[in-house]
Amino acid sequence: MSETPFRNPGWAGNTGEFELSEADVRGSAFVGRRPPEGVHPSTSASYPFMRVERDPGAKLFDGPWRERFEKMLTRYPTAMAALLPTLNLAQELRGHISPETMDEVAGLLGLSSAYVRGVATFYTMYNKRPVGRYLIQVCTNISCSLCGADEVLAAFLKHVGAELGENSSDGNFTVVEAECLAACGFPTCVQINERYFEDVSAGDVPAILKRLVSELEGE
Amino acid sequence: MASNGRKADTVTLTIDGREVAVPRGTSLLQAAAALGIEVPHYCYHPGLSAPAQCRICLVEVEGAPKLQPSCVTIAQDGQTVHTDSELARGMRQGVLEFYLVNHPLDCPICDMSGECSLQDYVFAEGRERGRAQEPKRVFGRDDFGGDVLYYGDRCVMCTRCVRFMDEVARDSRLTVVERGDRAVIDTFFDSGLDGASFAGNVVDICPVGALVSKDFLHKARAWDLDHAPSVCPNCSQGCNIELHTRDNLVQRLKPRENPEVNGHWMCDYGRSRYEWMNRTGRIERPAMGRGEERSEADWPGTLEALAARLAGNEGEIAIVASPFCSVEALGALSQLAKEAGEAAAAVFRSPRAGDEDPLPGFPLLVRRRDLAPNVDGARLLGYARTGTDDGSGGLDEVAAHRGVVFVLGDDLNDQPDDFGAAADLFVYLGTFDSPAARNADFVLPVTTFAEEEGTFVNAQRRVQRFGQGLRAPGSARPAWLVLGALLAFLKSGKTPANAAEAFAALADEIPALSGMSHESIGPGGVRLEAAHA
Repeated sequence: MSETPFRNPGWAGNTGEFELSEADVRGSAFVGRRPPEGVHPSTSASYPFMRVERDPGAKLFDGPWRERFEKMLTRYPTAMAALLPTLNLAQELRGHISPETMDEVAGLLGLSSAYVRGVATFYTMYNKRPVGRYLIQVCTNISCSLCGADEVLAAFLKHVGAELGENSSDGNFTVVEAECLAACGFPTCVQINERYFEDVSAGDVPAILKRLVSELEGE
Repeated sequence: MASNGRKADTVTLTIDGREVAVPRGTSLLQAAAALGIEVPHYCYHPGLSAPAQCRICLVEVEGAPKLQPSCVTIAQDGQTVHTDSELARGMRQGVLEFYLVNHPLDCPICDMSGECSLQDYVFAEGRERGRAQEPKRVFGRDDFGGDVLYYGDRCVMCTRCVRFMDEVARDSRLTVVERGDRAVIDTFFDSGLDGASFAGNVVDICPVGALVSKDFLHKARAWDLDHAPSVCPNCSQGCNIELHTRDNLVQRLKPRENPEVNGHWMCDYGRSRYEWMNRTGRIERPAMGRGEERSEADWPGTLEALAARLAGNEGEIAIVASPFCSVEALGALSQLAKEAGEAAAAVFRSPRAGDEDPLPGFPLLVRRRDLAPNVDGARLLGYARTGTDDGSGGLDEVAAHRGVVFVLGDDLNDQPDDFGAAADLFVYLGTFDSPAARNADFVLPVTTFAEEEGTFVNAQRRVQRFGQGLRAPGSARPAWLVLGALLAFLKSGKTPANAAEAFAALADEIPALSGMSHESIGPGGVRLEAAHA
């Protein structure tokens, strides 16, 4: 079994619909360890997961991050193919992809720095500059827009007290517009770090922000 | 197709109603080119891979559900292709309209104007008026370092430059940054193209005015330039080039395609060194007499006097020649020396670089150590290298030689004022007067390679012709003509009328050149060994 360690990595957490444990879903074929922060191994470095606290000066990559990076490399045929997940991992660790990070990632994968810059700037989900602890992405695409996304966006900007795309003065929030978040059935959809908030109306915004702040204080 | 199951080597297809047979594997674009039909294209370049992303080379292929990109669609037997059907033309018009949505149309101040693909295609097939109402986005320009300047507004995102740096220079410094209408070509932030020794080629392959040469910026309009086929004189690789001239000045050098020497490319070292061809202060009239006695004279009088001195010569002959001179000139000088007396020495000096600089993606092209175009020609004609790697020194024996001294093309810049003082006869054929030529009995003004026709032998031992791009100053004449006239005096023969005749006279005498002529060398050159195979 060991030659296909990731044959069945489909554990998405307990959704409550089935009484299945993680072991039931993964089966005995799974090898490896959970990455830190409770991220599912199957999504390690292939999902833009944002931790609340990041370390822009963290080394690329050390300790458990190194393990994740090396495990991830085994899944991709070429360095070019492994670039996107490597950037994901770097962003997860450092919070944004700075020019220095691009250069370091290029060095790690043996690609040219210019190529890494081209890729990193093509994808909007890589933050090219530091963002707040919570990155609030408000969908303003058609379905949400028809159901009041503009008001939701304005409410976020008002309650956060920052310009679009700018960090709030306490460093907690950055509000940006996003294209379709694929939750058209639940407009307006807002993605805050890795979490979706659906059916958001302008009136819900203060409560959401309050909850986020209380989460921060609780840590 | 052959009946035995093996595929034939050629396929026959019909393009725009005309049948053409091309080798299997040829793209539709190349097959059309074989018929003289140019399918518009931006991203396709014969020296690079084809990503089929510019969408302007789409052609109609009968039986295919939609238009096909001709740069990557391989020609098939029996195919019927329309490059100029209503469908294809309508598509091109639509694509061009999209290209113009953000293009600034600043042709009056654009360096590429006159040789720009976008200008040509829009003029030929574009809409009379665009329908875009929105303001165009504006980037300004970016200095890439080296000789390259980038105007993001004009860019059509063909990525030829990115692919050149990736595939040919193998130095992936350029990339497309950002996406959509914010996309620009850039390097890694401020790292630039400094130190990339072949980066100037991205200016050549840019189909629009996005990448331009800083050196050529606003110097001349493309339609004012005359193009003379030539050979790069800056190293012994002998890249095939064109001299682009205006007002009798070389304005820039551009590579000329030769798949056996330089492909489509040339190096920045060669490209940037052309100013010396425009240098003024040349010797313009023949002159006779040493030092204070020097006086200008006309050509017939000078040559007759010199021929008379040579006819009565009994001394040994020492020659200093320059490998910037043509095969014809070097050959005529050695013939003349043979006719006029015993040879004492025949030497040349030329600068040598510390290393070679190859183009990784096109290994035939190397910036060679010898920084002169005709070093191998000089060797072939019996001249030996002397002096140091900076092209100086090594002339002590010649300087004190007591017989006849000929200096051809060497400026003697490092030589003392008493150079040739002991010589019975000192003949200086050159372009610039030099303090070391003050003892010359005859000063004969000759032309540079840019002002004459001739041939060089490159480091591959390939004989290559170059054409005349500039008018000679004053009454300077090609060295092969001056020396040929002297030879005619001595042998009572005929003066060659042109470089081809001078070469033919040489080919009779030099075994390595036998059977060759300017005609047989042609525009692409011939290897010495191949000519005798």
